[in-house]
Amino acid sequence: MSLSLVYHWRNLLARRMTTLLTVLVVAAVVATFTWMFSFTLALRKTLAVAGDSEKIIVLRRGSTSEAQSAITVAEFNRLSQIAEIARGDGGALLLSPESLVQVNRPRRRDQGASRANLAVRGVLPVALQVHRNVRLSAGRLFREGVQEVIVGAAAARQFTGLEVGSQIELGFAGDRSYVVVGHFTADGGPLESEIWGYLPTLMNTYNRTQYSSVAVRLTPGTDVPAVLRQIEGPAIQLAGLTEAEYWSSQSRIVNIYLAVAAGLVIVMFIAAVFSVAITMFSAVAGRVREIGMLRTLGFQRSAILSGFVIEALMLSLLGGVLGCGVCAAWLRLAGGEKDVYGTSTFTTLAFDIHLTGWTVLGSLACVVLLAVAGALAPAWRASRVNIITVLREA
Amino acid sequence: MTLTYVLAQNLRRSPLRTTLTAVAFALPMGIFVAAISLVAGLREAALANERELRLAVHHRITLTNILPEGMRRKIEALDPQRERLTAVCGMRWFGGRRPNSQNTLTTLAADMDTFPVVYGDVGMTAEEIDAWRKERRAAVVGMNLAEEARLAVGSRFSLESSIPPYLELEFMVIKIMPQDSKASLMYFRRDYLEDALREADFPLSGCNIFWVKCTGAPAMATLQREIDALFANSPNETVTQDENAFISNFVQATGNIPGLIQMISLVVVFIIALIAGNTVMMSFRERVRELAVFKAIGFPSGRILGMVLGESVLLAVSGSLLGVVPVSLGLAIHPVKGLFLGPIGGLKVSPIGVVGALSMAVLIGLAAGIWPALQAWRLRTVDALRAAA
Repeated sequence: MSLSLVYHWRNLLARRMTTLLTVLVVAAVVATFTWMFSFTLALRKTLAVAGDSEKIIVLRRGSTSEAQSAITVAEFNRLSQIAEIARGDGGALLLSPESLVQVNRPRRRDQGASRANLAVRGVLPVALQVHRNVRLSAGRLFREGVQEVIVGAAAARQFTGLEVGSQIELGFAGDRSYVVVGHFTADGGPLESEIWGYLPTLMNTYNRTQYSSVAVRLTPGTDVPAVLRQIEGPAIQLAGLTEAEYWSSQSRIVNIYLAVAAGLVIVMFIAAVFSVAITMFSAVAGRVREIGMLRTLGFQRSAILSGFVIEALMLSLLGGVLGCGVCAAWLRLAGGEKDVYGTSTFTTLAFDIHLTGWTVLGSLACVVLLAVAGALAPAWRASRVNIITVLREA
Repeated sequence: MTLTYVLAQNLRRSPLRTTLTAVAFALPMGIFVAAISLVAGLREAALANERELRLAVHHRITLTNILPEGMRRKIEALDPQRERLTAVCGMRWFGGRRPNSQNTLTTLAADMDTFPVVYGDVGMTAEEIDAWRKERRAAVVGMNLAEEARLAVGSRFSLESSIPPYLELEFMVIKIMPQDSKASLMYFRRDYLEDALREADFPLSGCNIFWVKCTGAPAMATLQREIDALFANSPNETVTQDENAFISNFVQATGNIPGLIQMISLVVVFIIALIAGNTVMMSFRERVRELAVFKAIGFPSGRILGMVLGESVLLAVSGSLLGVVPVSLGLAIHPVKGLFLGPIGGLKVSPIGVVGALSMAVLIGLAAGIWPALQAWRLRTVDALRAAA
């Protein structure tokens, strides 16, 4: 037979201070870990959206980002040689020339105290067919030849002054006023952090004669590496990347940030494991006679071992739930909106951190691991107690 | 029986618990000492920048906009007597990359005449300034870059620009900068760059940023306002910031690792305090009888308080040493570089970090031990002996 849960619960309550302190340690570690976990998941989710295998981003040879690339009109025209380009409504080739500039906007979360660079992309209407996941969510599309823009939903959420109907200043000197006429969503991907306008108008505003990049949609089932080789070949002489490759290269900085954070959290986890171990060892030491009596009554060693592990589990799960609660409260208070700069784009990728059910489950799973790791040695010692010796210490 | 002997004996009483506590203490303390070293390093860099009294002037819309060269003369004309402003140095972003590498290095083209004055902290000697003026391809390189590319004074190397028109230029090293804050930077002559751009038929000439060296803090404040007012409502409106504010924009942009580490160190302190409190309370509870015996023999209450506190502090300090020493040695042998830590060359252990971490340990030891120590002090011998029996 096994020990009842009520027994374990009462034992935890018997040493209230110790229980409380250990619960707090676990809670602190879990709160930090859950935040990191949610951050990573949110970023991965955003980048995963930008993983369309049939969309290629064409840049100048040697460029690492759209912001640093310049493609002449002649080079753009050479791209139409590719046989595998898909065709859209009316038979038009799904080739979208784009021009990328930046604008500096105040963040909403600290009432405009800090600013970040947002990407402004000049596109032609064909871009909506190339970037299939871009859909209008409010207002309407910009008219051609007019100073109007549409703003990505994530950008509108996280930065001030981008509501439908507001005006933003673009241009080198910030002297061309553009009106926001709509919002768009892009499945939560990186494009949602951008502002889109009509290509020729924006190129004129920024005095540009060359495109920054070209987005190409290929027919389904094409051999993508072969097309990339053709783009890099002597006929076209540009560089091609699948969308997934492009965005994952931009998240290199964030990966470093996450690696540092992960390292720190792992160290803290180990400290929490040791903390649980200390508590359990002390609990065992204080209850040796009780264990001896339980053994005399007929409880098996396995029951004692699992009993102590269960106690540690209860302790840690309490801490885990508290930690997730603290993390949720923190996200609610400080806001779950983060933005990070791409490695070479100099523009920001905005995303929202949410505490989802899966994140909580993941954290609690780690808590279970923590509890078992910390409690195994003390529980083992408890189960190996010599009944006669401990009962003699009367 | 000295205090030290008793304390040591107590720790040896339960070696398992002592070890576990020490390790549970050591791990967060290791993080803590690294965090404090980072904060100290950043603070030092910020203070060094403050001493240099430089203002950064760039286009209001974005740093990537080119400002015309003529703006430098206008800024200098704000103070013809040179009472508030010493010199102005214009810089242009080059964004060089070693051939066959994807890493963009922080390479800037600076005005030849004023660079040694405005960037006096680089410490160019008279010969080096001479070489800077005479050699068109002169380059001043930071320590980290020089190490990575194995450069020495007199070496020639070439970099390819990552921005249009993607020029490839050759440089010659005339100085290697010893400062930490400049370890990953490289400066070369802007006239060399402009000549090359002209040959490549690139139409845009000018600077991304003007660095204004001021004579004092009040001068900085007034000049900051005046420069922005001078260019207000023109096509090239400016934003003028002091150097620390300018740099912090970049640190924020790359994920704000220093901020992250500072946040985590707060959590770490919290955790350590809890672990210490937990352990001391547990050990106290087990030793009520022993302390009562001490009292019965005749040890004064004050001494008993000292014993409990002393044990707590000893545990905290030894645990911390276990964490601080390996991390400090590790960082001293191999400082962490290249983690976008901000304007410091790398994460090095700082004496402030070690002292800070150990003081924190003593404080936590005291805080954790004070409650049990007070209870020990107030212990009524008879009750304690009776209860324990």
